[in-house]
Amino acid sequence: MDLIGQFPLFYFPEYGSAWMMGVTGTIHILASHTSVGAAMLFAFLAYKAYKEDRVDLYPYMKRYGMFLLIFSYVIGSITGPGIWFTATAASPRGIGALIHNFVWVWATEWVFFFYEVIGVFALVYFMDKIDKKTHLKLTFSFAIASVGTLALIIGIISFMMWPGTDVYYATGSASDAFFGTNTFPHMFLRIGFMIMLSGVIGLFIASAMKKENLDLSRELTKKMGYISMLGGFLVVFFFMWYMGTLPENAHAVFNVTKDSVIQSRIILTIVFSLYFLLAIFKPQFISKPLAGIMILVILIGGIWPGEKLRESMRKPYVAGQYMYSNQIVSRDVDGKGIKSELPILAEKGMLKVNPFIPENLRVITPENKLKVGKILTRIACSNCHSLEKTGKYRPLQARMQGMDKDGIKGILYAIGAGAFPYMPTLQLPDEEYDAIAEYLESLNY
Amino acid sequence: MDASTLLALRDPAGIPFYPVVFQALYILTWALHAAFVFLSLGAMGLSIYGTFKQKTDENWKILTPHLIQTGKISVSILIVLGVAPLLFTQVIYDPNWYVANTLSGMWIFSFIYILILGYIMYYWYYFANKKTVGGGKLIGIISFSVLIVCGVLMHSFAVTSIMPNDWMNMYAPNGVIDNSGWTFNIKTVRLIFLLSLSIPIVGIFLQNYSRFLSTREDFNKDFIEYTAKIGTRIAIFGLLLSAVMFVAWMVQLGYLIHPVSISIIVGVLILLYMVYQNNNSYITTVVLLLVALLISTLREVIRYDIMSKLGYNVYDYPVNMEIPSLVMFLLTFLILGGFGVAWLLTMAWKVGKTQGIFDGSKDVAVTKLGNYTLGIMVIWMVVYFAWGMTILFNNIL
Repeated sequence: MDLIGQFPLFYFPEYGSAWMMGVTGTIHILASHTSVGAAMLFAFLAYKAYKEDRVDLYPYMKRYGMFLLIFSYVIGSITGPGIWFTATAASPRGIGALIHNFVWVWATEWVFFFYEVIGVFALVYFMDKIDKKTHLKLTFSFAIASVGTLALIIGIISFMMWPGTDVYYATGSASDAFFGTNTFPHMFLRIGFMIMLSGVIGLFIASAMKKENLDLSRELTKKMGYISMLGGFLVVFFFMWYMGTLPENAHAVFNVTKDSVIQSRIILTIVFSLYFLLAIFKPQFISKPLAGIMILVILIGGIWPGEKLRESMRKPYVAGQYMYSNQIVSRDVDGKGIKSELPILAEKGMLKVNPFIPENLRVITPENKLKVGKILTRIACSNCHSLEKTGKYRPLQARMQGMDKDGIKGILYAIGAGAFPYMPTLQLPDEEYDAIAEYLESLNY
Repeated sequence: MDASTLLALRDPAGIPFYPVVFQALYILTWALHAAFVFLSLGAMGLSIYGTFKQKTDENWKILTPHLIQTGKISVSILIVLGVAPLLFTQVIYDPNWYVANTLSGMWIFSFIYILILGYIMYYWYYFANKKTVGGGKLIGIISFSVLIVCGVLMHSFAVTSIMPNDWMNMYAPNGVIDNSGWTFNIKTVRLIFLLSLSIPIVGIFLQNYSRFLSTREDFNKDFIEYTAKIGTRIAIFGLLLSAVMFVAWMVQLGYLIHPVSISIIVGVLILLYMVYQNNNSYITTVVLLLVALLISTLREVIRYDIMSKLGYNVYDYPVNMEIPSLVMFLLTFLILGGFGVAWLLTMAWKVGKTQGIFDGSKDVAVTKLGNYTLGIMVIWMVVYFAWGMTILFNNIL
């Protein structure tokens, strides 16, 4: 029997399972980027404290470290595997593709991760228990280890967008997949963002110290303003380089929302530039509530839409431009012996080759046609689109409003023929298209 | 579930090295992960008991915050250690793990937030107890319960993953597809056995704790003796309970006379003797880790047997050899990881043994290990960029 390796479908109504990954991913990015940025900032402060014999900086570092420990490492270390967990439910073959290409890279990252987790406890709890020189070394090693985790994960998430060249498809080599044209710009873009975030979090902690030590609070607020400004500049600079290394399908998606994305980014840049300038020139105005609100603004106005955009620009792929979001292998990868599953799907149909279709739905009958249409639609579309009439995330309702069965079928055929670069060129036998169209029509969009 | 379906679910990219290596890495890292799971639960559970005694009993006044701290750090370590077996199981048993996760998608998604809730509450418990002697009881109990729920969920995922014959029925009972992701399975005896391991582990930990602090002059002898004594009692009770549950589990599965389970029983008997004698708890800990490795091996034997009977043999997984990234892992693991972790642990040991401030700059071992670690990290970064640029130039020019 010809089968493709599709898994049971996990379906989250109204939003879709990709949205669940997005939520966990956004929280993780805030926490993990803060942690790497903060590790670098921590090393800078420790160096300054040691060189200039600034004993007064240690309480600030202790407080920053505690925040780092609780916030970044508790939340960051759980949501990291959390993305992975959610991805295995929402996109099992996507995550499988990454793991089977990069298992040793991930295992290497785990070494750094292990070092970091023990290191962060040592960093915070040994501050009053070891000499300052040894502590300084600890902060340096911790900062390098943190950047190391970024250096390792960045090639994997860049490969999710694309391998950069065709070499990977011929060799199947993890090195060719990992070091694509997109990897380094992506890395420096994120380093810039991490530096900025570390400053933004630093502003919050500095503002919380006003009562205990006003002078130190102001001095640190200014410093954090400069650091954030530097990070922000790097973000803008490397964003331009990053965009230049994206594949065509990414630009096709980006062009759809280009104006509003650019507009919102300009607004964010202005708002945060003003905020950082305020910190530099009028540090007394940076209060705890303001600093807290600005962290939220970054989370909701910066990271969430940014990650959503990055995820959208990958479409229709989820890994290496060979795995579609709907868990179908879309091209050959000779170096790995991977064969496209599109021909067998076009010839035999999803019902015959998906191992988890129940026997009573494998053959379409007038009685089961809507049920078949429902499961086929969910398998083919729900990773990216909400199917319900009230769906929230890229709802099909908005795209198929008022259309009859023939109109829907026409769209399905157009998608299968590759009319939309951001949609999978999934061709199915006519009777399966028919079942999908009938089901979608029955939803009365 | 027939062989053709299970084989179709394997990743088409194959695996980048021999399957037996992933299997061994899985066994090793699961044992380490599990050791900290049980230590965290044991330490936390005992600390809650301590909060009730802390106000009136001098020994528990000292011990309770230390147990809370132990549990807190153990949770972090168990999380990071847990990533490794999760990674290796997905390499060779991807059909099992992904089917279990899609069937339990809602639980999988919720698991992370339940864990965050439990761990954040743990910190709350820690701060509450730090602020007031005997404080944080209720929040400690809630946090403990929440973390137990996490353990039960992980158990459910693991159990579902080794029930391939029931997958179709879980996904589409009577032909009606259920995409909701609420599949939940529990094997009570196996679960109780695993949870019961928290008791001997915290008992042996207390013996170690007592031994470690015995050289510190700021801890009095009565306290040192007391912690050793309760450690012994808890460990003996826990070992007996775990042994009974283990035998029950093995009888249920028909594995009682399997060489690995017999080795575990022998290991437990040796542990009982060593715990009772308490001559050197550090050596007891080494034996404990060996028993943990055997338990991990047995779990793998059970899974391997289930799958190979269905025609899915991990040793037949197609191999697409991937050498450069393997070399990176091995060198990083052995050299960077070896020196780095040795440095941190040496420092932690010496800080713990010192009253007041430990001057690492005057300690030869700490200074050298620190310098080597930093040097290796810098070299690692240089090699990373050199490697990346070479590949990139080669591919684009």
